[in-house]
Amino acid sequence: MPALNALYREYRDRAAFYIVYIQEAHPIDAWQLDDNIEDDVLVASTKTTDERYSAASVCVRNLGIELPALIDGLDNKVERDYTGWPDRLYVIDRDGTIALKSAAGPFGFKPADVESTLKRLVPARAAAHIESR
Amino acid sequence: MKWIARSVALVAALYPTLSAALAGIILQSPGRFGQVMKHVPMALAWGILPGRSIWLWARDGSLAVGDQAPDFTLSTHDHSGEATLSSHRGVRPVVLVFGSYT
Repeated sequence: MPALNALYREYRDRAAFYIVYIQEAHPIDAWQLDDNIEDDVLVASTKTTDERYSAASVCVRNLGIELPALIDGLDNKVERDYTGWPDRLYVIDRDGTIALKSAAGPFGFKPADVESTLKRLVPARAAAHIESR
Repeated sequence: MKWIARSVALVAALYPTLSAALAGIILQSPGRFGQVMKHVPMALAWGILPGRSIWLWARDGSLAVGDQAPDFTLSTHDHSGEATLSSHRGVRPVVLVFGSYT
């Protein structure tokens, strides 16, 4: 998360950032992870809208997430459209096309790739300031 | 020592079948996947079988770089409003981070 927060702070004036909060990767009622137990990250699979909003709020608070978080519907439609589970990074260009699609998480979760894509797509901050003068 | 040789031979013989089975499991919905995987030894799935390769292949999805990103409208976690992906078109790029707490 620190890497994503840093990217957000750096680029939020030039790009939109959203967490898309989806169904749990390791709910306690399915495939639990020892790391999660040790860190006290214990969430049951979210079966109602309220539960999912709660899980998202806990996540945002406990992980210190600065990006705005959007909550996927219980039909998991957006997650399915983007094969986002358990985690994944995308950058969408201004014309609405996909500029970056990370490999499926957990292996593909590389904020550095997002940064290099953003550098390509947005003006450098110094240049932007010069233009607006 | 013979039982080790036999076990290795058994796994080798079953390798394609077990790999196919693992791929089948990974292609299920995340809910079902989790329910099945809690009974599968990690060492088997990710150590002996090519779990990572199967995972990356099965979880790739149908979108490719250059495709139009599917539009959506979702609410923010604090119920403060909604956001629509296409509202940024022509204005700014959008970074999407899919994930959950666990």
